[in-house]
Amino acid sequence: MIENDLKRLAQRAPRPLEDAKRQALAAAMRAYDHPMQEKRHPPQGLSADGRLTRIATSIWSGLMKQRFMAGSALATLMILPAAAYMTWQIAQDQYGWQAGQSVSQEAGETADPEEAMQTPLQPVLEERDMKRAEMEQADLAPAPQPSAPSVAQRVQKPAVALQQQTTGHSVTGLARQGVAGQVNQQSFRDADKSYAPPLAEAERNRVQSFDSNGVKSVTDEPVSTFSADVDTASYAMMRQALKQGTLPDPNTVRVEELVNYFPYDYPGPDAAETPFQATVTVTPTPWNEHTKLLHVGLKGYDLSPTERPRANLVFLIDVSGSMNADNKLPLLKSAFRLLVNKLDPDDTVSIVTYAGEAGTVLEPTRAADKQQILDAMEQLRPGGSTAGAVGLEQAYRLAQKGFVEGGVNRVMLATDGDFNVGPSDDEALKSMIETKRESGVFLSVFGFGQGNYNDQLMQTIAQNGNGVAAYIDTLSEAEKTLVQEASASLFPIASDVKLQVEFNPAMIAEYRQIGFETRALTREDFNNDRVDAGEIGSGHTVTAIYEITPVGSPAVLNNDLRYGEPKPAAEPGTESGLGGEYAFLKIRAKTPGEAQSKLTEIPVTAENEVSSFGAASEDVRFSIAVAAFGQKLRKTDSVARYGYDAIEKIASDARGADPYGYRSEFLQLVRLANNLAQ
Amino acid sequence: MELSTDIDELADQALAEQASDGDRAAFAMLVERHYDFIHRVAWKWCRDRSAAEDIAQNVCLRLGAAIRSWRKECAFSTWLYRLTINAAHDHARSAAREARRSKAWSVHSMALGQAVDEAKPGNGDELWGAVRRLPVKQRDAVLLVYGEELTHAEAAVVMDCAESTVSYHLHTARKRLKSLLRESGDEQ
Repeated sequence: MIENDLKRLAQRAPRPLEDAKRQALAAAMRAYDHPMQEKRHPPQGLSADGRLTRIATSIWSGLMKQRFMAGSALATLMILPAAAYMTWQIAQDQYGWQAGQSVSQEAGETADPEEAMQTPLQPVLEERDMKRAEMEQADLAPAPQPSAPSVAQRVQKPAVALQQQTTGHSVTGLARQGVAGQVNQQSFRDADKSYAPPLAEAERNRVQSFDSNGVKSVTDEPVSTFSADVDTASYAMMRQALKQGTLPDPNTVRVEELVNYFPYDYPGPDAAETPFQATVTVTPTPWNEHTKLLHVGLKGYDLSPTERPRANLVFLIDVSGSMNADNKLPLLKSAFRLLVNKLDPDDTVSIVTYAGEAGTVLEPTRAADKQQILDAMEQLRPGGSTAGAVGLEQAYRLAQKGFVEGGVNRVMLATDGDFNVGPSDDEALKSMIETKRESGVFLSVFGFGQGNYNDQLMQTIAQNGNGVAAYIDTLSEAEKTLVQEASASLFPIASDVKLQVEFNPAMIAEYRQIGFETRALTREDFNNDRVDAGEIGSGHTVTAIYEITPVGSPAVLNNDLRYGEPKPAAEPGTESGLGGEYAFLKIRAKTPGEAQSKLTEIPVTAENEVSSFGAASEDVRFSIAVAAFGQKLRKTDSVARYGYDAIEKIASDARGADPYGYRSEFLQLVRLANNLAQ
Repeated sequence: MELSTDIDELADQALAEQASDGDRAAFAMLVERHYDFIHRVAWKWCRDRSAAEDIAQNVCLRLGAAIRSWRKECAFSTWLYRLTINAAHDHARSAAREARRSKAWSVHSMALGQAVDEAKPGNGDELWGAVRRLPVKQRDAVLLVYGEELTHAEAAVVMDCAESTVSYHLHTARKRLKSLLRESGDEQ
């Protein structure tokens, strides 16, 4: 009976971790010693009217203090967009968030600020709290008054968001991705079967699920367009899952991130004027004798240390209570220590923390004063919950303060992913990041820990901020991301890099792009310079692979249309030489600071083809092994009958020098996966 | 369940009074003694270790700031219950907001709006899943009475309402839980 069931609720709670306890007690003592700082959280159980919660008013007043201090006029302005925003959100919410229910039941004490704004605001309440907020504002004498422009900007943000939401024509990168996603969905046949339930329950890590690219017929869709991408977070997450003894959730595996995790030694350009060089190889497919692989390797120009622009870095560090684990804050400190050691003396570093309240720990400081930076880092302690948006604003302010013209200005956000943006809404956050990107301050995201890592939000933030999203689970990973590849992730040499491949229907019947599902662009985006795309850092490589089915191959999946136009007979080498081309590769990229992109065009011909898989370069073979592995983990049909053993064989043959041991580690992971899959 | 004896309660009361008068050592001892209690309550309200830690830490922070203005109108333990439960509510709300936002992002990025895995912290316990879906007051009543094994009268003090109100909340909650559990049974 229900009565007995309910008794189970009394089950013992797990013992608290000693570490967490110690930190919490220390936080309590700090709060006790400095009660003024905490005054904005009044003891809620003790409110005058004795109600259990008075959160609506306390948050509302907190909100007032933090953001809209310019008086009730501004607050009134706020109500409209906030209400519209909520309405929109409820409309989006398929699961019914039961707003009506909770509002009606707790109308008097609605606690959520958003709800509070949505319910008709009693002017009395508003006014009273305004006054209270103003009074309390007066109490906090040294609190900086926001300057007029910044207030104006803050008020504007929700309005901008409102506009986008109500018109439904969001012009952001994310929405474009959505459109691109649709294109993938519409492809006439998806190569993947629907996935079994996740093998490794991704705990509370939130990931965006997507379908793998399907096989496309060249006659239907001759052109494939995507954004060059340098994120690697998926690899580290996959590694962590395997090392914990579970196969990763197929949805967390982004094949292009796995492939691009490894440094490849493709030939690079000689001068900074050509930001990158592309190497194209066509090889037989190891997992299918009837298809070929079109492999594109881009290598960015490697800036020598003397050419490097000055860097102005702002570390935005999450010190919320949940960062309190060995693989989070302590690892983060060690990681950033590594990075600081790598900087030039003239580079500047500042540190902002967020948790409960955002605070500047370190004003912009030259890397020459290394000790000062390291000391500040050392003193970081976890405490409080997360208020990311305020922290982000502060970080951007500092970045603006130490802005280096023509240099690298970057906010580096380190978090376990519980990025609570507080009272401000997502659209505002995103548009803030985008605006800052225009002003030259970029954003990179480093994820730590496992449990509530919000992979999707982090990806989105990093993409909108022109930065990388990396996931750091070990110190060696930190070393790779922050030290080995520091120059790549810090110094972009080409931005908005887009690739477009046009296949020749005379030679290729079908193609399938491996990975890059979440980076697909529409065909017309390619020539539109306003469309944002990935960037390539100094010395960085980007690898993209297509599986192509030549005309007449038994692997062709789609039969010719009975009523289609008669196919031109494939006569390689005829008609002005174009007939012999497999495909035509176009790359658009901007050099940093320029608005106009430059176009590079490369025909792919028989000259790019190698006769056997073994004849391809080590890098090409290794990257193909990684791609096969990623597809295996995603349970892609095409590699279903290709074993992990075979993947291991290719990878170990192509291991090469492997100075940092990344490739050896990969071999380990393949073996692990092989055992786990059985 | 670790029921505090009357003597402990008295000692807590005294400690709390000293702390509210500015005795730092008394405060340190007070928090130290109650951290496990706070953590336990937090865990029962969210059933998630890292969330419980966050909540407990928030309660500690609030306690440090609030103890000086404590007006001793009720027992310290009652007050601590309220503080912790409020913090748990705050946390649940921000988590819900977070989940909604995640969904909003995903609606943008997935044109077809495929269902993103609902973030469901918890251990897959059906009962707990149903309890989570109760309205706040009913959930508090259920957790205080069944989870913390308080009497209706004690729960009423914590919730600052009449005893009969607690009984009513429980009655409604049980009815609701039954139908929720039946629903989830049907789905399977």
